[in-house]
Amino acid sequence: MSTIVLDDIVSKLQDLPSLPAVVMELLSSIDQEDVDISVLAKKVSHDQALTAKTLRLANSSLYGLQVKVTTIQQAITFLGFQTTRNLITAAAVTGCFAQGQCPGFDDKAFWRHSIASAACCKVLARRMRFNQDYAFTAGLLHDIGRLVLVSSFTAQYQQVMEYRKANDCYVREAEQAVMGVDHVVAGMALAEHWNFSDTMKMAISYHHDPDAPGAGLLATIVHVANAIVHALDIAGEEDDLVPAVSSAAWTALGLNEEAYLHVFRETELQFEEITLVLMG
Amino acid sequence: MSAAYQHLALSEVKPGMILSDELLDKQGQVLLPKGAVLNAKTIALLPGHGISVLAVVRDDSADSAALPDPSALEHRVAVLFRKNELDNHDDWATGILRRYVTDYRLGREIEE
Repeated sequence: MSTIVLDDIVSKLQDLPSLPAVVMELLSSIDQEDVDISVLAKKVSHDQALTAKTLRLANSSLYGLQVKVTTIQQAITFLGFQTTRNLITAAAVTGCFAQGQCPGFDDKAFWRHSIASAACCKVLARRMRFNQDYAFTAGLLHDIGRLVLVSSFTAQYQQVMEYRKANDCYVREAEQAVMGVDHVVAGMALAEHWNFSDTMKMAISYHHDPDAPGAGLLATIVHVANAIVHALDIAGEEDDLVPAVSSAAWTALGLNEEAYLHVFRETELQFEEITLVLMG
Repeated sequence: MSAAYQHLALSEVKPGMILSDELLDKQGQVLLPKGAVLNAKTIALLPGHGISVLAVVRDDSADSAALPDPSALEHRVAVLFRKNELDNHDDWATGILRRYVTDYRLGREIEE
């Protein structure tokens, strides 16, 4: 079995589909406030498909707008720059990878899981008074390394899925056993390549390990949201498996049962709606 | 959304069902929004508002309108949580999540 090293991943990143330049710009500046909004709005408007998807998201009931927004500039006016940026990113990233190229890897289930995680992170973030936009994007992208591995090492990833099935283990364990790397490493490589902000990198890097020193609250939110989404069975995979929840992460959120039942329900409702826009 | 819906008499409505449309009272006031998940408490209040029939989302996965039976739901949760050892105290957070999700699936009411 051939083992893959980080250098192999990095050299393959060049072959990946690239995001529209404006989205790269948005991702790298996600924690900056002083970006020239009107210039960005104009750039996004040149991409019609991206604009259409973004506006449909903005007009979904998630954001409860009283008026229908019809331009990116309007979306920024009503939703704010942070939220609009977040929607543009979601619209761009979900359309960027080719589907159905790796037998055994269910792209639809992958995106269902990612979108539900984004929704759940946003809901949890609101309760924690954490920035909901960062949380949404981090939830959406936390497993993006899996797509890197699927796209760049398709044959090996097919073996990963077979190994996982045969051993009934976690995806990450199967990746490490078959390939010698996992989606966290691949996700970090992509995050560097696509110039993600440090906040996003931390969340991708530590979502399986929120107890690590310096992991931060966002990694904790993504970690718990990931477990919740597996537990809610949203991806629709027969052999889905709930990962162990870090007790420290659970304690850090400090929510009671009533709060969690609301989180579950809101996650399911928001998931339905976002999926219609992003996957429809 | 054009999801299939069905009209049910109040006596046939069960907790966990989802409203396929806004629920209005006789005066046209919105009692519950579209998509609301019904729980036992809400259902019990509806006759007081003059509601006798509801439009709920039809669950296509099941043949009948009834919810999957509780033991099937609990079994599915057990499958999803198959790596969680209930007697492993270091893994208590996973155990709590499991309990909450079970309560959620069974539509149990929480003491407020």
